[in-house]
Amino acid sequence: MKKGATTTARISSAADDAQLIALAQAGNEQAFTVLVRRYEDVVFRFAFKVCRDRDKAEEAWQDTFVNVFRKLNQFDGKSKFSTWLYTIVTNNCLMKRRKRKLDDAIVPLELPDGFRDEPMQDSNGRPIQTIASWKETPLHSVMDTELRHTLDRAIEKLPYDYRIVFLLRDVEGNSAEETAKILHLSVPAVKSRLRRARVFLRERLNEYMTS
Amino acid sequence: MSAKKLKCREIAEHVCAELDEGMNSAKCRAIRRHLETCPNCASYLNSLKTTVKLYRAYPAPALSARRRKALFEVIRHSGKESAESRKKSQSKCG
Repeated sequence: MKKGATTTARISSAADDAQLIALAQAGNEQAFTVLVRRYEDVVFRFAFKVCRDRDKAEEAWQDTFVNVFRKLNQFDGKSKFSTWLYTIVTNNCLMKRRKRKLDDAIVPLELPDGFRDEPMQDSNGRPIQTIASWKETPLHSVMDTELRHTLDRAIEKLPYDYRIVFLLRDVEGNSAEETAKILHLSVPAVKSRLRRARVFLRERLNEYMTS
Repeated sequence: MSAKKLKCREIAEHVCAELDEGMNSAKCRAIRRHLETCPNCASYLNSLKTTVKLYRAYPAPALSARRRKALFEVIRHSGKESAESRKKSQSKCG
């Protein structure tokens, strides 16, 4: 971003990303501020979910916008601005993590307890359910301490490479193609990691959700 | 593909890959038919969907006002530093 060449015209908060980026690249500080305001919560929430630590997430958040400020002229608009942002924040979170042994583990595709290739049948030929149904869980129940701890424990055990894919794809709603671009992976690799991550988490929540 | 030929293992592998994607292919239609009659696969799919929903709903704390304020101070400082270093390198070249 060019520094010093500021303009004083008011920027509408309704301006689209491309307009704001062009103005910010020309040195308009107000446009840059509007861009930060637009994405600050998205970036912080994502950083928190990846880092699982408030201080590290705040540091990653700050580093991300400092990087954006310094490198905005390198953004060529070929991908979405949010994709570029996710790439930067993911790298910053990666730098903050303490490498753990379990991060090198390959997550297997586990089958659930009670799984059979064909369902058993009762004497009337009706299928018998051997995979327990999960209890009804309204979304506001994620505020319950016990459920939150269960969710925390499960995702903390998920190796980092799989956690990032799950968060980018399922939680943040990026497409498989966008996720692949952010992580410099192929689309099939994203799909494979996502599948394993979902199954891994499901297995770790199963006991709580069926008790 | 006939729904009768599908085994639960295929369903399990497919449903977790296609959880939120369009299910309009012939295979996906067969899977849908299987899901209507197999309580295990229906329960499994439902639990995978719930897993995603719970993590989506998991709340993150709000960013602190202190950190928000600090960002623009860091950026202003960073801007000044780069302007100064540009000036220095220009005067050396000149």
